[in-house]
Amino acid sequence: MRILVVDNGGQWTHREWRVLRDLGVETSIVPNSTPLESINADGLVLSGGSPRVGLDEEAMGMCGEYIDKLDVPILGICAGHQYMALRLGGKAVPSATPEFGKTLVSVVDEDDLFKGLPETFVAWESHNDEVTELPPGFKLLANSETCPVQAMKHESRPLYGLQFHPEVEHTDNGYEIFQAFLDVCEVCKKG
Amino acid sequence: MFDPQKFIDDQVEKTRSEVKGKAIIAASGGVDSTVCAAIVSRPLGDQLIAVYVDTGFMRKGETKAVDEMLRRLGVNHIVVDASDEYFAALKGVTDPERKRKIIGEKFIRVFEREAAKSGAEYLVQGTIAPDWIESGGGLRDTIKSHHNVGGLPSDMNLKLVEPLRDLYKDEVRKVARALGIEVAERQPFPGPALAIRIMGEPTRESVDIVREACAIVEEEIEKAAAAGKMDIPWQYFAVLLPVKSVGVQGDVRAYGYTIAVRAVESVDAMSATYMRIPHDVLESISTRITNRMKASVNRVVYDITDKPPATIEWE
Repeated sequence: MRILVVDNGGQWTHREWRVLRDLGVETSIVPNSTPLESINADGLVLSGGSPRVGLDEEAMGMCGEYIDKLDVPILGICAGHQYMALRLGGKAVPSATPEFGKTLVSVVDEDDLFKGLPETFVAWESHNDEVTELPPGFKLLANSETCPVQAMKHESRPLYGLQFHPEVEHTDNGYEIFQAFLDVCEVCKKG
Repeated sequence: MFDPQKFIDDQVEKTRSEVKGKAIIAASGGVDSTVCAAIVSRPLGDQLIAVYVDTGFMRKGETKAVDEMLRRLGVNHIVVDASDEYFAALKGVTDPERKRKIIGEKFIRVFEREAAKSGAEYLVQGTIAPDWIESGGGLRDTIKSHHNVGGLPSDMNLKLVEPLRDLYKDEVRKVARALGIEVAERQPFPGPALAIRIMGEPTRESVDIVREACAIVEEEIEKAAAAGKMDIPWQYFAVLLPVKSVGVQGDVRAYGYTIAVRAVESVDAMSATYMRIPHDVLESISTRITNRMKASVNRVVYDITDKPPATIEWE
């Protein structure tokens, strides 16, 4: 299985690559300017990054095209998650209370990504913006005291968004969440 | 999962095919550059010279200890005292990014000089993932310019060889253990050294203060760990703040500087939590610093910030 990490300039993009490599899948980091036709993968991770998605959409490169046109599972993380919401008609704005470092995330609906995980767990954050309104067709999977959408999922397409960073060592259950995403990719691959 | 033995074999092979001729390696005595030296010396042998630069910002006893460690490692090495040059270049400099860039450029000038003496064309560096990630570029914001990446001058004339670029510290340590490197568990220490643990101009006087404070922090924490009071943190040190405050010493008013103590837990330096040090250990650090260094320091604080939002070092 081959999973690409789309680099939006995050501090933890390379960590996403490392976790995927540790989980034994073929993976590489590609710039977000990679043309759609060159994307050959069984799943995509849209990394976080310094672009403020509401303010400089252009910096997110081809991410919108990937979200619109690819049918493989896509996991948006932080800026990748916010941009997914924005692109599909939701709302992402500067956070009333930004979160940096340790946060307690509460699972609302365990769905695929949080299957078998505790109802609350420690997650590491680093964001100035956040999703405040889910796009049509999405459901809420998790929140925190200061952020209404910590995780979301499309009802029928394999599109997932996480505000927190499962790739960071200090996040509990991070490898399990990535493995759950890989399981979704595996199922989609088999068709 | 990461396989250290395979990594070593691959990098030995890669060095053999890519490095044709003499090379120098920037050797600080830390785990990254020592692992690098051990790996590239396998194919290069006597073609490799390790260069340790004494910038004047090294910790107590460090230059001598590294000199001896490199001798035991069995790699050709030289120690260059460039401290006068560094202090001169940093005169009046307080901005952390300017400090890092000046130090980065100075390193390269010293390496170019040493390379010219031996006819080396390659510079091997122990650059690891957080160094280039945090140095930024393109879409990625610059958090801090690591001296070995963001601090490199554009006109350098050495070819860079960086075998550890994709590794984090925990993976480097696995490689170090596989190689039997004696500094495998040594705590990280930044290339710009004590210069970025002084919030202000690095002078011989300010370096002396932070050097002594760092030594006390290290000794007290290592003593407490040996006594089973705590685990050894990932990284632990002192920072000299430019803030002065009032105190009383022997019925006499004091007005001295503040030392911040920092100790964190991490795996890869990309995220960190502050260490829950027992209060009696913090107290002995504080008492020892303020008693021993009464002429300059009369207050000690403990940094309780995680990364993010802070970074591990203060600059």
